[in-house]
Amino acid sequence: MKRQVPLVLVLLFGLFMIFQYFVPHESSEWVYEFLLDWIYIIGIFALALGIWSLYVVSVDKVKTRKHDWGYSYVTLAGLFGMILFGFTARHGDEWGWYLIFVACVLLTVIMSVQAMAARINKGLPLGLAGLFLLGAVLIAVFDDTWSFYFYTQEGLQSTMFRAFFDYIMMPILATIFSLLAFFIASAAYRAFRARNLLASLLLIAALIVMMRFFPYFGENVGEFIARVSSWLMNVPNLAAQRAIIIGVGLGIVATALKVILGIERGYMGKG
Amino acid sequence: MSRTAVIVFAGVVALFVVSWMVKAMVLADVSETNIVDAFMVTVAAFLTLAIYSFLYKDNPYYKFAEHLFVGVSAAFWMVQGFWTTIVGNLLPRLSEGLATWFQQPYQGGGYDLGVFVFPYSIMYWIPVILGSLLLMRLSPQGGWLSRWPLALIVGTTAGLNFVRYLRSDFIVQVAATFVPLFGRDPHPWQGFGHFFSNLDLSASGQFVALLSNWVIFIGVFCGLIYFFFSKEHTGAFGKASRVGIWILMITFGASFGYTVMGRISLLVGRLTFLFRDWLGLIS
Amino acid sequence: MRFLFGLTVILALLLGASVSAQTEPPVTDSVADSVEVPAIPPPAPVTDLKALDTDDDHGHSVTLTWTKSVDAQTGQNTVNGHQIFRWYPAMMDSLAGVDSLKNMRQDIQRAQSANSVFRRALGVAEDALEDLTSGGRGFDALRFTVATPQDDSTFVLDRAFVEQALRDTVATMTTHLPLLPDSIKGLQASFEAAIERLTEAHQAYPEGGSWNLVGLAAKGDTSFVNSGNKDPMSGDFIKDFTDLYYRVDVVTIDETIRTESAIVGPVQSEGQWFNGGRFPVFWAVIIFGFLTMYFVSRARKGDDLYVRPLAGIEAVDDAIGRATEMGRPILYVLGLGTAADVATIASFTVLGRVAKQVAEYQTELIVPTYDPIVMSVAQEVVKSSYLDAGRPDDYKENTVFFVTNLQFAYVAAVNGIMLRELPATNIYMGKFFAESLLLAETGALAGSIQIAGTDEIAQIPFFIVACDYTLIGEELYAASAYLGREPILLGSLKAQDWAKAAVIVLGIVGLVAANLEWGFAKTFLEYFHVTN
Repeated sequence: MKRQVPLVLVLLFGLFMIFQYFVPHESSEWVYEFLLDWIYIIGIFALALGIWSLYVVSVDKVKTRKHDWGYSYVTLAGLFGMILFGFTARHGDEWGWYLIFVACVLLTVIMSVQAMAARINKGLPLGLAGLFLLGAVLIAVFDDTWSFYFYTQEGLQSTMFRAFFDYIMMPILATIFSLLAFFIASAAYRAFRARNLLASLLLIAALIVMMRFFPYFGENVGEFIARVSSWLMNVPNLAAQRAIIIGVGLGIVATALKVILGIERGYMGKG
Repeated sequence: MSRTAVIVFAGVVALFVVSWMVKAMVLADVSETNIVDAFMVTVAAFLTLAIYSFLYKDNPYYKFAEHLFVGVSAAFWMVQGFWTTIVGNLLPRLSEGLATWFQQPYQGGGYDLGVFVFPYSIMYWIPVILGSLLLMRLSPQGGWLSRWPLALIVGTTAGLNFVRYLRSDFIVQVAATFVPLFGRDPHPWQGFGHFFSNLDLSASGQFVALLSNWVIFIGVFCGLIYFFFSKEHTGAFGKASRVGIWILMITFGASFGYTVMGRISLLVGRLTFLFRDWLGLIS
Repeated sequence: MRFLFGLTVILALLLGASVSAQTEPPVTDSVADSVEVPAIPPPAPVTDLKALDTDDDHGHSVTLTWTKSVDAQTGQNTVNGHQIFRWYPAMMDSLAGVDSLKNMRQDIQRAQSANSVFRRALGVAEDALEDLTSGGRGFDALRFTVATPQDDSTFVLDRAFVEQALRDTVATMTTHLPLLPDSIKGLQASFEAAIERLTEAHQAYPEGGSWNLVGLAAKGDTSFVNSGNKDPMSGDFIKDFTDLYYRVDVVTIDETIRTESAIVGPVQSEGQWFNGGRFPVFWAVIIFGFLTMYFVSRARKGDDLYVRPLAGIEAVDDAIGRATEMGRPILYVLGLGTAADVATIASFTVLGRVAKQVAEYQTELIVPTYDPIVMSVAQEVVKSSYLDAGRPDDYKENTVFFVTNLQFAYVAAVNGIMLRELPATNIYMGKFFAESLLLAETGALAGSIQIAGTDEIAQIPFFIVACDYTLIGEELYAASAYLGREPILLGSLKAQDWAKAAVIVLGIVGLVAANLEWGFAKTFLEYFHVTN
């Protein structure tokens, strides 16, 4: 039961998808579209698993006092702060006690994690957590410059949610992406110390293509390099890509077939 | 914390405050909420610098930015997924009551099977149940149930990939390899004598076109031979496989060189933020 | 204020619009057969017009073919293009068929969006009224934008006025809002009923109804596909098993000078149960499936299937040994793929093998993941590998953990792990995108041995430069078969090789066919032509 049912499901759905590819009829299309929706919806449920894992690992780091455990609080604060912003919004331009409320909630989380991690003296963090929780509840009840939104999307448009997205997520994301420029420089340096024939071939091709962007060669040489590099991109590149694509395609097809037939079941664990 | 660390930290805080104040003053003319805006821009700039500090070595500021980023981004996806997928698309299809409660237009309907109308809502309760089964992983006894939704996902996409890649990566690619190795329009083959007496070395000439077709032909076959696993690469077979890996390497070099230039532009974008939006040095 | 007035007006208009039936004059087509003295002589009509259900599709589509007019590109050469007309029935007494459906559809959509807009607006108005009367917020805090009238007359916005306006709005909305869902339902029902009657209505041809333009074709064209939508609610819907009538007009530069063709019909659209255009794929599925099963069954019988050694694969074993000696962990990165990506599935098999050895050597394993489903699968895989190695107690739940679902946040975290935990070996297997270089370079700088494998062609160069061993494309799948150490998995490698050999043979035959123009050549190339 534990192993057979999933394998039968894989076989059934796999065969159906192969089958539907050849059946253009509306009814097969109908099931196909629903199946794709299902996968998408199940994926959203899975996010909860991920958040749980992130929480558990962070708390665990604090508990075991693994090195850099203090930063786990930063992760937890970012996580709970952002979730809170996604479900609350201010009514107007007044801030009221909103930020203090957020701080109280975050401190409650941090103190309860602290209480979980503490071996002795659990009382102090626990008491503080209770205190902060009380503060948060009181503010939530009496402050009406903002409120919770559990069933409309105000949270997504709230100032803080947007601010965290625009001024924390996006800058870090763009910066890490731009680190690629430095890393590619060091990778290029690594490639320069070509150790063998294959690495040299790679290096020469890379140099030719890169030289196309340098304006120092004069018109004739520049023109020649541009032509060679575009030939490299269009001809040998095309050939090698095609060989890889055919290979990868066969690999994917064979693996998919093994999965459908239940020959490859490594992904399912054994227990 | 060592003394140097404390001094550096104090310096960073001082810089932050100075930047905040200066930026707030600069923004005072253009924005009513200048203090908040200045704070946010300064935060963004310091986080940018914190990430760049990683290039020197791992340090507390990078660790801070990294951990914050992880927490915020994980929550962002969850909140986004909740509102747009669950509330925006799933709940309005499950039942009219839920749709009304979440103030979404109800998206019901059914598929007319002739005998009766099959309601769509049933089709959306199934993934809800499967999604809940997936969460059974968290319980020690019910973990095996979480394999069911997994089986659905893996089975469906395996079937889909099987036919899709067989077509796009196999049949279509094989068909594309049938290239004319001797002349065709606009350069019909007129014998070797004609070919060599009118040797045209320009980029659009017959020589280059035919050479390219030969390279593609040989490249594809030698490349494929390199990927043979069940035969030893010795003799002529081995030589072809060598040629295959050479062509692969040239390709990788070319695409490496090509990407290098693209990546530089990302850096330029980030520096523009630091020097224009934060420091205001360039306009 | 304008907002409130505007809202009330819109409300009234919308309710009115959605409840009362619209009467519009029937659409007359613009065929100008009354033109008196044409400057250009009318062109000859298209001939041989045929209409057939479009093949290999899901229905809702009709293909027209014709022979060009003698005046198209030849003869007087006056034809400028073709206009395709379809007959629409007049369905409801005073309405012009499909146009009324279009209006009903728009009404439904408008009413649905009004429903949610009004609900929100009502909430805002109620809150504002409550705040104003309870004194919770001052009058100023309500922040109405009041437009000053152009003529400079004083415009006093006093509190009583605002309060009364809010009260009116709330009252109007609360009375009308409950009616909206009912009117949506009513509209929906009559729409569905109309769709139901569509087939019947088409049988009235040629009584009532009108000819509507459904598409254009260039002057050189001899065919046209009138492809409708399958969803009645969205755009041009063509109902299956319904009699349709078509006409193709040739038009000159002056669109009033035109010649109609003979009318074709009735033709019915329907969906097919087999897509003939995909026959090449069908044969490939059969042949490849057979090859795989054959070699798998041979492997099962115990035939020894040779697989040549791959440097990257052998390195995996050495790397685990090295990590054990150094007492440092192994980092295994599954990439950004989902559990549905085949590259990730192949990576799971490799992970299983790595985890088993790690368990045997009692080394530490770190598996940060990007996708929660991948995380659950990887946990399952690692857990059962520990079980296989006979050390289930050594398995720690946090070996495999979720980081985040954002590409670069994931990279930041994994880079941090590389520099802090200093793994002896980093293994990257699966799907990778722009992050490949960030990961591999950081790992190289940290001095770890690195083994990578991906089928993303664009990322392979970066791995080759920064890693010690790289599995290129298909080698990743070979590795998964090889490391799984199960002979039946190797069977499929043999099938893959046979398929590649077939490509080479077919390639040579195809090449000959493409170069020498034999009669058979053309048909041979056709075999690889997938349509639709």
